[in-house]
Amino acid sequence: MMAMARTFSRLRKDRSGLAGLSIVALFFLAAIAVWAGWLGQDWSAADGARWEGPGAAHWFGTNVLGQDIFERAVYSVRTAFEIGLVVALLSTVLGAVLGAVAGWRGDTWVDGAITWLKGVLDAIPFYLFVAAVAFALRGAPWAMHLAMVATFWTTTARLVRAEVLKIRSLDYVRSARAIGLPGVVILARHVLPNTTHILLVQGTIAFVAAIKTEVVLSFLGLGVQDGVSWGLMLAESTQEVLAGHFGNFIAASGMLFLLLLGLNLLADAMQDALDPKQAAL
Amino acid sequence: MRFTAGKLLHGLLLILGVTFLSFLLMVWFGPDQTYSLIGKNASAEEIASVRHQLGYDQPFFARYFEYLRELVTLDLGASNASGEAVRSLLARTLPVSLALMIPGFVLGNLLGIALGLAAAQHRGRWPDRLITGFSVSGMSLSFLVIIIALQALLCTPYGLDLFPVRGWRVDSFASYLQYATVPSLSLILVTLGYNTRFYRAVFIEEYGRDHIRTARAFGASTTEILWKHVLRNSLVPVITRFMFSIPLVVISGSLLIESYFGIPGIGLATFEAITSGDQPVLKAVVGLTAVAFVLLQAVTDTLYRLVDPRVT
Amino acid sequence: MARRFPGLLHRIAVAAALVLTAACSEPANDSGAAEATVYRHAMDGAPRSLDPAQASSVYAKMLVVNLYDTLYRYKYLARPYELTPNLADGMPQVSTDGLIYTIRIKPGARFIDDAAFPGGAGRAVTAEDFVYSLKRHFDPATRSRGAWLWQDRIVGMEQWKTDGADYDAPVPGLRAIDERTVQIQLITPFPQLTHTLAQGFAAVVPREAVEHYGAGFAINPVGSGPYRLDGFDSSGATLLRSESFRHEPFSLEAEGADPAAAGTGSFEHLEGRAPPFIDRIEVQFIAEDAARWNTLIAGEADFIKVPVSQFDSVLASRAPPRLNAEMAARFDLAANLESGFVHTDFNMDDPAIGYHPDPDQDARNRGLRCAIVKAFDWERRNEVFYYGIGRVFPGIIPPVAPEYDTSQDRTWTERDLDGARRLLRESGWHADNLPTLEYGFPSSVTERQMFEQFRSFMADIGYPAEKIRPLTFATYGDYARAYLNREVMLVTTGWTMDYPDAENTMQLFFGPNASPGSNSANYDNPEFNRLFRASATLRPSPMRTSMYRNMNRILQEDCATISGISRTLILVWNREYTMLPDRSFVGGFFFRFVDRAGAPAEEPAN
Repeated sequence: MMAMARTFSRLRKDRSGLAGLSIVALFFLAAIAVWAGWLGQDWSAADGARWEGPGAAHWFGTNVLGQDIFERAVYSVRTAFEIGLVVALLSTVLGAVLGAVAGWRGDTWVDGAITWLKGVLDAIPFYLFVAAVAFALRGAPWAMHLAMVATFWTTTARLVRAEVLKIRSLDYVRSARAIGLPGVVILARHVLPNTTHILLVQGTIAFVAAIKTEVVLSFLGLGVQDGVSWGLMLAESTQEVLAGHFGNFIAASGMLFLLLLGLNLLADAMQDALDPKQAAL
Repeated sequence: MRFTAGKLLHGLLLILGVTFLSFLLMVWFGPDQTYSLIGKNASAEEIASVRHQLGYDQPFFARYFEYLRELVTLDLGASNASGEAVRSLLARTLPVSLALMIPGFVLGNLLGIALGLAAAQHRGRWPDRLITGFSVSGMSLSFLVIIIALQALLCTPYGLDLFPVRGWRVDSFASYLQYATVPSLSLILVTLGYNTRFYRAVFIEEYGRDHIRTARAFGASTTEILWKHVLRNSLVPVITRFMFSIPLVVISGSLLIESYFGIPGIGLATFEAITSGDQPVLKAVVGLTAVAFVLLQAVTDTLYRLVDPRVT
Repeated sequence: MARRFPGLLHRIAVAAALVLTAACSEPANDSGAAEATVYRHAMDGAPRSLDPAQASSVYAKMLVVNLYDTLYRYKYLARPYELTPNLADGMPQVSTDGLIYTIRIKPGARFIDDAAFPGGAGRAVTAEDFVYSLKRHFDPATRSRGAWLWQDRIVGMEQWKTDGADYDAPVPGLRAIDERTVQIQLITPFPQLTHTLAQGFAAVVPREAVEHYGAGFAINPVGSGPYRLDGFDSSGATLLRSESFRHEPFSLEAEGADPAAAGTGSFEHLEGRAPPFIDRIEVQFIAEDAARWNTLIAGEADFIKVPVSQFDSVLASRAPPRLNAEMAARFDLAANLESGFVHTDFNMDDPAIGYHPDPDQDARNRGLRCAIVKAFDWERRNEVFYYGIGRVFPGIIPPVAPEYDTSQDRTWTERDLDGARRLLRESGWHADNLPTLEYGFPSSVTERQMFEQFRSFMADIGYPAEKIRPLTFATYGDYARAYLNREVMLVTTGWTMDYPDAENTMQLFFGPNASPGSNSANYDNPEFNRLFRASATLRPSPMRTSMYRNMNRILQEDCATISGISRTLILVWNREYTMLPDRSFVGGFFFRFVDRAGAPAEEPAN
C-alpha cells in the first residue's frame, strides 16, 4: 500500500508521464464515444466524390470510394482499443497465472513444461506464427487476438516467475507454507501486490505491441475483416500515396503515432515510478 | 559433461516442440494448396487426385513423422508451385536475405549503442532528453508507416527519387547500394528507438556502479572509464540483446521488408509458402529456423560463460 | 489544396525525368550489326511454372508461347482475331462430319540445344512430339491445368489414362500418321478445337526434356519457339533469340494487316524480314502498380500496362483514350479491351437466395435477386475502379466476342432504384426478412473496397448494412476452395476467354459444369442447357449466334448473375519500338514482332 502511494506521488511529478496519460485518456474517451454511437458512425457511407481534398465537409478528404477519411480514422480508435484491451488483459492474466505456477512449483516438471512452452513459442518467428494462426482459424474474428495472446504472455510469465522464485524463499512465506496456507492464498496475498508493477507495465507494452501487430496483419490481409482500422487505412494508402493522395496515410499514421506515443510515455513513466530499483537514481 | 548432455536434451526437446507446433499450424491447418494448382473446370476426380499427390489424405502422425524423417535426412523435396528443389531455393534466397538485413541490423545496434552511451553520459541534461525523446518517438512508429514514408520520400517523384522503388537486380557493389539502402534505412529507423532505450538503461546502470566511482576517485580519465570498465562490463547484456534480437529482427523483419520491396529473399519465399500452403518450402524453413534458434541459444550461453566468469 | 500541390510537383518531376532520360539515352544503332537489340517488358505478375501443361496464368502463357511452338496462333494485326498457322503447315483438314482433323507440321522446326538431348544437340520437331505433349495433359503426374480443354473429346484418351498413362501405348484418337502429320479423332464435333491448339497449353514439348528434368522441367524449358530462356526467378526472366527457330519471313497480308487502316504504314518496314526482330527480351515481374509505373518513367522498362491510379497523369482524354503531350513525346499507347469480364454470381444452390423447392419461395428469391441486380450501380463501379473507360454490357457475351450484340437491350445494367424497390415489395421482402448476404472475396484492398461499394449500393434500396457481411479469404486459392465447394453466397470472379467464341462464356452457366466446374453460380436451367447442347457442335453461323443471344436473355431473366464489365487496358510503350501489343489472344505471340524502330533494315533495300 505504501508502495502505491509512493508510486502515485512519483508519477504526478513526471511531466512526460502525465502527458502520456492524458493522450491515452483522450483516445479512450473517443473510443467510448464510438462504442456508444456518438462518433464515427458514418465510416462506411460512400457519399463523397472520389479522392476529394481536405475541406469543410470532409476534414481529411475522402478515399477512392468517397468515404470520409476522418470518420474512418475515428472509428478505428474503437478497433484499436478493442484489440489492445483484449490482448493486453488476456496475455497479462495468462502470463501472470502461468508464471506464478511455474515459479511456485519451481524445479518440478510443471516449471520445466512451462519454460519449454515459452522456448518453443519464442523460437517461431513472430509474424510467421501469427499468420499461421490466422490461417488455421480460417478468418474467425478472434483469430488475430488469439494469435497475439499466444505469443505475448511469455514475457510477463518470465518476469512473474522470477519474482515468485525470489519471494518463495523468503522467511514469512516459508512460515506461511509451514502452517498450511494453500499456495493460491499466499500467492494472492503476498506475491500479487509485489508484482503489480510488472503487470501494469507489461500490460501497457502488450497494448502497444497489439496495435502495431494489427496494423501489419491488416496490411497483409489477415487482420480486421469487417469494419475499419488504421492498418486497413494504411493498406489502402500504399497505392494512393504513390499517386499523390495522402489523406489516408496522414490521418491513419498520425493518430496511430499519437496513441502509441501516449502509451509508450505512460509505460516508461510507470516503469520509472514503480520499480524500486530506480528509486535511488 | 553432464551439463552438456542436459543442454543437448533441452535443445532436442525444443526442436521437437517447435517442429510439432509449426507442423500443426502451418501444415495441418494451413491452406489447401490443391485449389491453386488446378485449372479451370477441374473435375472432382482431378481435385481428389491432386490432393492425394500433395498428401492431404494421410493421417496426422504419419505426416508428422514423415516430416521429421525429411528433416533429419535433409530430404527437402521440391516446391509444389514451381518445381524448384527446396535446397536450391534456400541457396538462392538465403544470401539475399542476409545481404539485405545484416547491414541494417548491425548499424541499428551500433547506432543504438552510440546514442545510448551519449544519453547515459549526459544523464538528465538536454542531450539525454533529446535522445530519449527520439527513442520514444521511434518506438511509437509502426514499421509500415516508416516503410511507406521512406519509399514515398526517397523513391518517388514526390520526394527525392534517388532510389528504385523496389526490386533486387544486384550485380555490383553500386547496384547493391542502390537496392539495399532504403530497406536498410527502414530497418534502422524501426529498431533504433528500442535499441537506444535498452542500451541507455544498460549504460546508466554500469555508470552507477560503485567501482566506477572508485575509479573516478582514483583519477581515471573519462575515456579510460568508458573503455576499461563500462563497455567491457556491459558486454553481457549487449551480446544477449544482439543474439536474441536476431530471430526477431532478421527473420520476422525480413518478411515485411522483402514483401514490400519485392526482394527475392527467404522471408518473401516463406510468406508465399504460408499463404499458398506450399508444404515442402514451409517445412524446410520452419525446421531450419527451429534448429538455428536452438543453436543460437547454445552459442549465447557459451559466450555468456566465456565473458562473465561469475555465470556458471 | 493538398491535391494540387503534389500534382504540380509530380509534373515537374516527370518533366525533369523525361529531360534527363532523353539526354542520357543512347544514340540509335547505325551499324546494324554489332550491338544486340534489347526490349524490356514489365508484366504485372509473375509466372510460377513455365511448363506448358501448367501455363494457366496470363503471365505464364506470355512466356510459354515464346519458348515453345503451338500448332496455331492468331494473326498479329487482324482484328477481330483470326487464327493462322504457327508450327502447322496450313489450316487443318477437317472431315465432313467434323470428327477427324489432319494437320501437317512445317519442316525446319527444331528444338534448342540442351543437355537433355543425347550429345546436347537439339533435334527436329516431329508429329510424335505433339502427340506426346497432348497425352501429358492426361497423365496425373503432370498436374495439368489445361486438360479440361480436351476432356471427353478425343477418342480413347480417357481410356489411355485409366490404363495407366503409358506413353508408349497409343491413343486411337491422337496419332502421328507419319513423321510430320498428326491426326485427331473426336468423339463429337468440337468446332473450337483449332482455337485450343493456339493456347499455351497445346505447346509442343520434347519427351527427353520432361524425363530428364522431372519436376524441374517447369523452370528448364526446352522448346522450339523464337526464344530460349536465359535466367528466371521471382523478379524476372530473360529471353534470348533462339538460333534454332525456323526462318519465316514476315508478311503484312498474312498477318491480317488492313492496307486501308491508318497504322499499317508503321509495320511496312517489317515486310520480308524473319522474326524475332529483337535479340534479347528482359521481362520484369512487377505486381505492385506504383513500382511498375516508376520503372517506366525512370526508363528502366520499355512497356507497361498502366495502373488505373495513374490514368489521370497519362491520359489527356478518355473517349477515345489519348496520351497527353508529355507522355506522347516519349510513348505510344494502345487502349485494348480485355478478353474477359468481371461479374458477381449468386450461388443458386443456396435456398436463401437461389433455387428453392417451394415454387412460391423460388419466385420470391428470383424477385430478390433481380432487385439486387437492378440496384447495382454499374456506372459508379466503372467510374471508381476502371476510370470510367471499362465497357459495361448486359449478360455474358463480352464485347470482344464475335457474337456480341451492340444493339442489345441494356435494361439489366441500368440502375433502376424504383424498379428494385417495387420488386422487393411485390416479392414480400422487407428489412426484417431479408436474408443475410455473404459476399466472398480474397483479402485485398481493391476487393474490400468493391465490397464496401456493393454494400453502399444496396443501402440505397433499404438493404440493412448488417445484413451484408464480408466473407474474406487470405488467398485466392482459399477463396477458390470455398466457392468450388459451394460455400460462398455471392461469388465475384473474372473470366478470361480462352478463345474468341462465345461458347467459352456460355459454358460458364451450363448446368453440368456446376462446381467444382466453372459454373460457380451452379445455374441449372433446362432450356439453357438444351440450347447449349444443341449449339455446341455447330460451327459459327448466324443461327448459332441467335441461339447464344437467346441463352443470354434467358440467363438475364433469371437474374443468376450481376454481369458484367470488360476492362479497357491502357498499354504504353517506348516510342522507339514498333509494336501492336495485346494481352488477349495474340498475347505473348506479339513479342517476336516487336521491332526497334531506330534500327535499320538488316539488308540494304535493293
